[in-house]
Amino acid sequence: MTALSPSLAPQTRRRLALGSRHALPVALVAVFLLFSALAPGFLSLANLESVLVNNFTLLSIVAIAMTFAIAAGGIDLSIGTAVDFASFSFVTLVLSGQPVPLALAAGLGGGALVGLFNAVLIAGIGISPFLATLGTLFIGRSVQQLLTNGGNPVYLPPAGVPESFRFLGRGTVAGLPVPLLVAGAIILIAGLILSRSRFGRVVSATGTEAEVVRYSGLTLKAHLAGTYVLVALIAAVAGLVLTSTVTVYIPSSGNAFLLNAIGAAFIGTTLHPHGRPNIAGTVLGVLLLSLVANGLLMSGLNFYWQQVGTGLLIFTVLALSFASRKA
Amino acid sequence: MTTPPSDTIIRLDGIEKSFGGAKALSGVSLAIERGTVHGLVGQNGAGKSTLIKLLAGLHQPDAGTIEIDGQRLTHITPHAVESLGIHFIHQDRLLVPTFTVGEALFLGREPRIAGTPFLDRRQMQRRAREVLQRYFGLSLPNSALIADLSTAEKQIVQITRALLDQPKVLVFDEPTAALVKREADLLFQLIRRLREDGITVIYISHYLQEIEALCDRVTVLRNGRDVATKALSETSASEIAGLMVNREIGDLFPVREKAPGEPLLTVDRLSAPGRYHDVSLTLHRGEVLGLIGLLGSGAKEFLRTLFGLETAASGTVTVQGQAPWQASPVQAARRRLALVPEDRRRHGVALDLSVKENTTLASLSRFTRLGLIDRTAEESETDRLITRLQVKTEGREALLRTLSGGNQQKVAIAKWLSRQSDIYLLDEPTVGVDIAAKVEIYALIAELAEKGAGVIVLSSDLNELIGLTDRILIFFRGEILRTVTSETATVDALLADVTGSSELTRHAG
Repeated sequence: MTALSPSLAPQTRRRLALGSRHALPVALVAVFLLFSALAPGFLSLANLESVLVNNFTLLSIVAIAMTFAIAAGGIDLSIGTAVDFASFSFVTLVLSGQPVPLALAAGLGGGALVGLFNAVLIAGIGISPFLATLGTLFIGRSVQQLLTNGGNPVYLPPAGVPESFRFLGRGTVAGLPVPLLVAGAIILIAGLILSRSRFGRVVSATGTEAEVVRYSGLTLKAHLAGTYVLVALIAAVAGLVLTSTVTVYIPSSGNAFLLNAIGAAFIGTTLHPHGRPNIAGTVLGVLLLSLVANGLLMSGLNFYWQQVGTGLLIFTVLALSFASRKA
Repeated sequence: MTTPPSDTIIRLDGIEKSFGGAKALSGVSLAIERGTVHGLVGQNGAGKSTLIKLLAGLHQPDAGTIEIDGQRLTHITPHAVESLGIHFIHQDRLLVPTFTVGEALFLGREPRIAGTPFLDRRQMQRRAREVLQRYFGLSLPNSALIADLSTAEKQIVQITRALLDQPKVLVFDEPTAALVKREADLLFQLIRRLREDGITVIYISHYLQEIEALCDRVTVLRNGRDVATKALSETSASEIAGLMVNREIGDLFPVREKAPGEPLLTVDRLSAPGRYHDVSLTLHRGEVLGLIGLLGSGAKEFLRTLFGLETAASGTVTVQGQAPWQASPVQAARRRLALVPEDRRRHGVALDLSVKENTTLASLSRFTRLGLIDRTAEESETDRLITRLQVKTEGREALLRTLSGGNQQKVAIAKWLSRQSDIYLLDEPTVGVDIAAKVEIYALIAELAEKGAGVIVLSSDLNELIGLTDRILIFFRGEILRTVTSETATVDALLADVTGSSELTRHAG
């Protein structure tokens, strides 16, 4: 059927589509060059490694989790709660002297619990994802305060943790930090799930036109429920990485990722030919936000101005993308 | 009406235009003689409206030339076209409802009192009255509000506005669509007056009687090409109709070997209180059943129940002798039922998914190995179905949004062909589908039945039901009022049954 359209029109369209899809990579290069010129110390191996380890790793995992929720046409405002619950379960078990693998499993379980709760609200009862996860966010915050006597951090004594725990947070394999490797693995697996698996296809279809999924004889509710459990599970991995890096659980600290994760996922949609949430786009979006945060810091700008930078960046990328899309 | 052939006012040559993947016009050439009424006919999707939009300067052609009065236009803008004396009467072009007639008539070209910035209301009133009297024999006060006018009067305002500019050509786009008969008759008188005054008229319609009554010449468009231009004195309405669909009307419906096989689907006394009760039927392999009923007759609810979208209170549905099941679309699809729903754009296909993603959505398991989709298998299945159903698309990755209604519907059916369904439930399968795609869908339904599938068609198009099905079940007030053999059914008898008037006369008699 391709022979049907030998005319020139599609070429123009393709060029425009490329233009809009280029907004994110172009912004990434521009930001990199800008800070390399303006911020002394930005363009050093040590600094760039710190961007990856300190800014990129955790946010990328949380943002990838968020990408699934957005791909399914929803959102997960309680994503930080899953991070926290994983972190809390993990810390508690390690403190009580349980073996690290068991503690890790418990951490994933703790996070998944948050996802199950969301799944019941969204797929079971039919509450909109925004309201359901907002409720979970509030409940999760209270539960954490109750568990920690009003929000006291739970520290892991440096001497008291096993070697295998230390390896998770501080270890390296072939010179690469373990947390970064974990993020890399999550990126690959999530990319495979979202763009190549049957589950990912149905999730994308749900986000596009949920009723068509139902009318196609697919289990819409099961896929919705699965999505929110998966989101929480991935977020839980971030909780585990976080805790093993900083060796402390601070109640409700996971919420710090929420807005950046949403921002990165939406910036990432500009990379997709049809503007859908996608893993590669989210990863580049996280990279962009990480570079900007670090660059602003290195250029000595007041910390409080950083959010302005992030906001402007999101506007710019989305505006560039939409402008060239409409042209 | 005979004008020297040299006196061509508008000449289009080799016009081509594509939107996305769809070629709307592929080489249309057309010459309009000065002072004639020239008809333009074609089915939906034939390219009429695209052609008119090109002429109006709303789109630019990809190829070809447009000459007006012997002058070749390079860049066509609405303004340039209007300044050459070509005006368009669109059925759906809205006048601002809060304007007065005077404001609407003179918008953008208000006459001023010489030497002042003030509007010359008296001149406006006088000129409007002249035109209205001359062509319509009526008067509309300039102070009347557009919102208070009837559809016909609004159209009069549009035409008057054009006439005030002393046009050379007036283009009427489906002008009678919203008019009652008497108003349409007035319009026809007007158009004859315009011709007497030497104004050229282009008249677009799919009502052949109007073309026959009004036009000097007619051009038939089909699939984006001009297939013929004829003088009305040398042709007939039936010849034009044949040219429009490229076949005799009787050939719309395929001839099918009617040999029903074993029962596929048995419905036994299915009831849903308030919607339908005691509905029983058997669908055999190779059979096409028709359902018909007014809104609220229960026919649509019954069909949706079969696919598990609604629940029945009592009764059983048995597929190929398997035990009755708890109804849900998941279970229905598993039992090889397929539903092509009426609301194509919300339920049938996802407009923002690609052709491929839509085609395989119901059958993903077939292409999944260890949870991952086998892209090669998925793509080849999609390409196979695109070819088999002649889906017109830029390719399998094109968004469904870029396809025409008919081609979207083909994808909605392809989805279930990919699932290898046995029982097809089609709810208004040809609504919003152009004639070419309609014929292809009819042929496909016949082919499905011949290959052993069972098909149930719910349609409000009576000709379609009679032409396509073996038997027709008439729903009336939640019950099957009658089952008729399609071969002997007539539109009039069906209509009487559907509306219940036959029932009334029977009781009366």
